[in-house]
Amino acid sequence: MTFRTKLLLITSLTVTGSVALATGAISLWTRLTFERMDLDRRQTALRQFQKDLSTRGQEVAARVQKAAVSETALRVAIEANRPSPDLSLLLNDARTLAETQSLDFLDLVQPDLSILSSAHWPARFGYKNDWAGAENGRISPDPFLTRVPTQEGSAAALAAVRTVNAGEKKIFVLGAERLNPSFLASIGASPGTRAVLWLSDQEVFDANGPLAQGGRLAQLASEVEHSGKPANATIQWDASNESAEAMQAMPFLSGGKVVGVLFIGTSLREQIRLQRSILWTGLLVGASGILLGLLTGLWTTERVTRPVKLLAEGAKAVAGGDLNAQVTISPGDEIGDLAESFNAMTVQLSEQRARAIQAERVAAWRELARRLAHELKNPLFPLQITVENLRKARAQHPQQFEEVFEQCTSTLLAELGNLRGIVDRFSDFAKMPQPTKGPAELNEVVRGAVHLFEAQFAARTTAPIELALQLSPDPLPVQLDQEQMGRALKNLVLNAMDAMPAGGTLRIRTARAGDSVSLEVADSGQGLTQEECERLFTPYYTTKRHGTGLGLAIVQSVVSDHQGKISVTSEPGKGACFLITLPAGRIE
Amino acid sequence: MQRIVLLWIAAASLLVAGQRPHYGGTLRIEIRAVVRNLDPTDIAVEPAEAAAKEQLTGQVYETLVRLDDRGEPQPWLATSWIHDTARKKWVFTARPKVQFQNGVVWAPPGGVISMADDRPIEQILRDLARPKNAVMIRGSDGALVGTGPFKVSQLEPNASVVLAAHENYWGGRPFLDAIEIRMGRPLREQALDFEMGRADITEIPITEVRRARQRGSIVLQSPLLETLAIVFDSTATPSQREAVALSLDRGALQGVLLQKWGEASGALAPQWLSGYAFIFPADRDLVKAKQLATGSASLSFSYDRQDPVLQSVAERIALNAAEAGLTLRNTTGSPGLRLIRLRVTQPDLEWTLDQFALALPPAQRNGSGWEREQALLEGFRVIPIVHLPASYLVSPRVRQWNPAVRWTLADTWLPEARP
Repeated sequence: MTFRTKLLLITSLTVTGSVALATGAISLWTRLTFERMDLDRRQTALRQFQKDLSTRGQEVAARVQKAAVSETALRVAIEANRPSPDLSLLLNDARTLAETQSLDFLDLVQPDLSILSSAHWPARFGYKNDWAGAENGRISPDPFLTRVPTQEGSAAALAAVRTVNAGEKKIFVLGAERLNPSFLASIGASPGTRAVLWLSDQEVFDANGPLAQGGRLAQLASEVEHSGKPANATIQWDASNESAEAMQAMPFLSGGKVVGVLFIGTSLREQIRLQRSILWTGLLVGASGILLGLLTGLWTTERVTRPVKLLAEGAKAVAGGDLNAQVTISPGDEIGDLAESFNAMTVQLSEQRARAIQAERVAAWRELARRLAHELKNPLFPLQITVENLRKARAQHPQQFEEVFEQCTSTLLAELGNLRGIVDRFSDFAKMPQPTKGPAELNEVVRGAVHLFEAQFAARTTAPIELALQLSPDPLPVQLDQEQMGRALKNLVLNAMDAMPAGGTLRIRTARAGDSVSLEVADSGQGLTQEECERLFTPYYTTKRHGTGLGLAIVQSVVSDHQGKISVTSEPGKGACFLITLPAGRIE
Repeated sequence: MQRIVLLWIAAASLLVAGQRPHYGGTLRIEIRAVVRNLDPTDIAVEPAEAAAKEQLTGQVYETLVRLDDRGEPQPWLATSWIHDTARKKWVFTARPKVQFQNGVVWAPPGGVISMADDRPIEQILRDLARPKNAVMIRGSDGALVGTGPFKVSQLEPNASVVLAAHENYWGGRPFLDAIEIRMGRPLREQALDFEMGRADITEIPITEVRRARQRGSIVLQSPLLETLAIVFDSTATPSQREAVALSLDRGALQGVLLQKWGEASGALAPQWLSGYAFIFPADRDLVKAKQLATGSASLSFSYDRQDPVLQSVAERIALNAAEAGLTLRNTTGSPGLRLIRLRVTQPDLEWTLDQFALALPPAQRNGSGWEREQALLEGFRVIPIVHLPASYLVSPRVRQWNPAVRWTLADTWLPEARP
């Protein structure tokens, strides 16, 4: 992953994370705020409802009181006082009183609660009233909630009872106002809330009328009905989340019994919409931020990474050997300073390399001169001695001159031959031909080269060398010049033999390593120092007394000509291991 | 002094003139029932329609004989009848100068109508008094034409009928020019129309009669013509039927709910018509009712919810049944039991039972009235509850109208019409 990509990624993630965090925080804060506000509103509405209910109860009681003090009620009480009251005369009286006082339910009852006249159920005369809220035979003067039996079932109502005295006897006037949508509408809910009254699963309504989905309140209503305690829940009226409504339920108690459950609800529509709006805004801002971040990031990273990229390219060029590489970056910041330093560094490197090359050349020439002097010195000294002996023999022993002459000329010729051999080796190294590559199998090349030394290995009885061939079981096809590679291999084997004058183990191993093949030649000889390892492939460098220093240079040249690499690993006393890596060829 | 005398004479003349019948005017009547046609031979099954239809056809068509309010046959288009012993037939003398409403003179051959019938004459006369035996002809337009005091001027089936005065009526032209009857009017609409002066005669629930009279309204009532009864279908068991019958507190129902109007009864036909209604038991036996109702399933209870009297009575019946342990669920159109009104349309027991039988479960149609009624009531398939009069709100301007079994609209007049 490039630096630029990383920079872009970091910028985008930072923007996205920030927006997501801000959106989440705002959304959470909004939800908590709304919930707190809703709870406040519901509790306020509940208090208001209870207050209104109490007020309405007093109003109902006042109307029942008016009915009780009316002439009609007095007449009913007088009639009821008779030994055999004529109920047919009273049949419509309750209805008249109810209509006059705008009461939904009204019963005129005897002290034993038998009905004299009923407004809402005229046919019920003579039967016992069972909604007077009497406890232990005592009727409370306070308004109360009750369920009034009707032909259709029972209805929840806000009721009150008043007494009509006629002589010694008395009757009761029971009046009630039905808890229905109109009742809820007249009480009214606080802004933003609505009141829902649950009386049974089939009778659920708010101020607008019956609720079609009233059954959804059944579970909560049942809980409140059984516990007799308030409860909270969120009700979702349909598949849409926006239909959700937070509900606070409060039981309507009458004589310790729950006659209904009041729900104060606040719609979550606005909250959900706002949260959704925040979410969408967050997403929009986030997307815009990401886009802007990308554009800004692209621009910024372009500005930031371009000089870095130029520096990287420059460094790569230097690594590739181009020490003249220069980076053109406007100065003025850290990157500019870095570029200047880089340019200065490459200039210095270039100068140092030139000096090193020059020094190396001088060193090489010196080494060559030393080697040549050394190589030439060896045959020259015998030549000089031989010539001096020849002159001495001519002067001192002319009778033996012929014999000496013959011996000396033979020696001269031999040493001249040595000189020529030295010259030829130098000449060969200078004239190393280009390899003629062809398909070959590395194991076969190894076997061919090793075969030449088998006799020598066998001849070394005092210091035996054990050959350990660890060749790959699979064929290792390569494209190579078998003669040159064989010569290189021979050089390595010879080197190894020279490194083991006291005998040892010569291990030759071949293997495939991906797209290349490897060849290891290791000895168990005296080993090399680190410095020796570093200089080992330098021409004319040798650690042997009689070496020309060209063997390994030739090996490196051959390997290099085959697009391969050679390296050596060694430590003093632990032998040396030469590793040649060559491109693998195709099996044909 | 002479001047004062003259003024007194003028005032007295005006007073007398105010009480003397006037000709003209249109009497407006509203009823809940609907009548599909005015063909007297087409007997309506539904009791309310049958009753309304007989009242209307009775103004248009006449029979040879009519039954008076006591059910006694009286001469009408036939002025007399004798038995021709030799020829074994009855000979009815036709009333002279009778014209049909289209001007055709009714002239039976020889001025008599002969009838070979070996039944007793009382039975023949009752039969002749029935509307289906009215004297009528087909007019040029194919419509039926009668001889009654009014002719059909306009008929809108199920909605309204306008009857116009028959100018050449043999009994003299009726005082009213026309009678407009609006049908299918709910009681509430009738009350409103009456209060607004848009109707002269409207029906009023019997439970409202007392209040209406207390308000000063004129309420006229017929004899006990209506019978409220419970009719069971086959889904109710005999025990359930009997439990309902024994749970009924007819006394409280009639004495309180129906404001003491009518008579609680266990018979279909009222006492004045049959003379034996008192025989049928109407007592309550709640203990036995509870025993019979033990373990009974609930029953569906239906009635005309637009009828406030039926509604009140049904509510009380349901309460009585509930006291016995039987639940009656108020439903419409479901099987179970129904609360219905039956209506006497003729002071004729046999005809009445025939009419009742149309609305009741099948039963034998032979035997005396008592036997037939006993057959209808057998097994508590029908439970009569109470006999009630029909009640009408009548405008003060309506004179000489009597809501008898048969309305006598030919004598009715309106004072502000022309004298």
